[in-house]
Amino acid sequence: MTKKPGGIEVEGTVLECLRDAKFTVELQNGHRVLAHISGKVRKNYIKILPYDRVLVELSPYDLNRGRILFRYRT
Amino acid sequence: MNPLHLTSGTDDHTAVITRVAETHWHAVADGRTVGRGEAWRRPDGRVFLSIDSWHGPVFDRIADVMLADLPTPLYTVVDEADLDLTSHWRRAGFTTRRREWEYLVPTNHLATGLGSVRPPSGVTIVPAGAADEGLLRELDRTIRDEVEATVGWQEMPAEVLTRPDGTALRYPSKYAVAAESDHYVGLVRVAPVTRRGHIGLIAVRADQRRRGIARALLAHVLDSLHHAGIEATSADVNEANRAATALFDGVGARRAGSNLELVRR
Repeated sequence: MTKKPGGIEVEGTVLECLRDAKFTVELQNGHRVLAHISGKVRKNYIKILPYDRVLVELSPYDLNRGRILFRYRT
Repeated sequence: MNPLHLTSGTDDHTAVITRVAETHWHAVADGRTVGRGEAWRRPDGRVFLSIDSWHGPVFDRIADVMLADLPTPLYTVVDEADLDLTSHWRRAGFTTRRREWEYLVPTNHLATGLGSVRPPSGVTIVPAGAADEGLLRELDRTIRDEVEATVGWQEMPAEVLTRPDGTALRYPSKYAVAAESDHYVGLVRVAPVTRRGHIGLIAVRADQRRRGIARALLAHVLDSLHHAGIEATSADVNEANRAATALFDGVGARRAGSNLELVRR
């Protein structure tokens, strides 16, 4: 299976859980994005809470949007 | 594994959808992955799907290809509050099979009203880390046999399912149990999956129900969490499980969200 690059992956911190299953995430450079969770996170019933450190894939179409790929252990 | 060509409809890219492995599909445009689909088989034998994409049309086409490749029934799980994702799956022909409530449970006995709750006569609560592993595994097997003989695994959250290798009880030290004479009659597991903890499983043997054992186990773990400085914990409960919803509703737990299991038959 050839791995094609997806969006840019960056670490961030969850600031807020919004009502529509989306999250405000502050990236390491201070930029804030609106993120939803990936299928892999959903599949594994991983709960995302404020202050969680997460890995976010940024949308190649809109750098203000992202997808949470991974939650780091705290 | 022939690729299908499509125009996403939201930009000028042409995405190609390819089944890149037995359980993985990619949508690629201009050498970049713009969508992914995955299928996986749960321990109960059912096949679940997930799709990640940035645009609805790409989602729809990945779904079309996956549905053409895989036999039904197929399942997926969505956060009910995620209206976009839920509507994508509904467009693909999926309908709601069941709902799980995510409860936010206070730990302070002043909020739960569990301060005076004690186990029934003859029953003692063994705290997490102190349970006899052999007796715990015996109880775990008994309860799983009861599930299989009654409501079935399809009504259980994935975290409760038997693992393919048969090692269902993975972290014995996370279980508190209710003991009576020389055997165990009920158990509760608090998974440290988040900083607030998560009640992953609470169960009582069928012949020991309606004695207040689950309530006593819940009172015990909530008190332990409260003493650890945790103000609230969470639990997922199948909406159709009346006993469990009554238990959590009765201790002041709040329904903070819900997950839908969708099926395409």
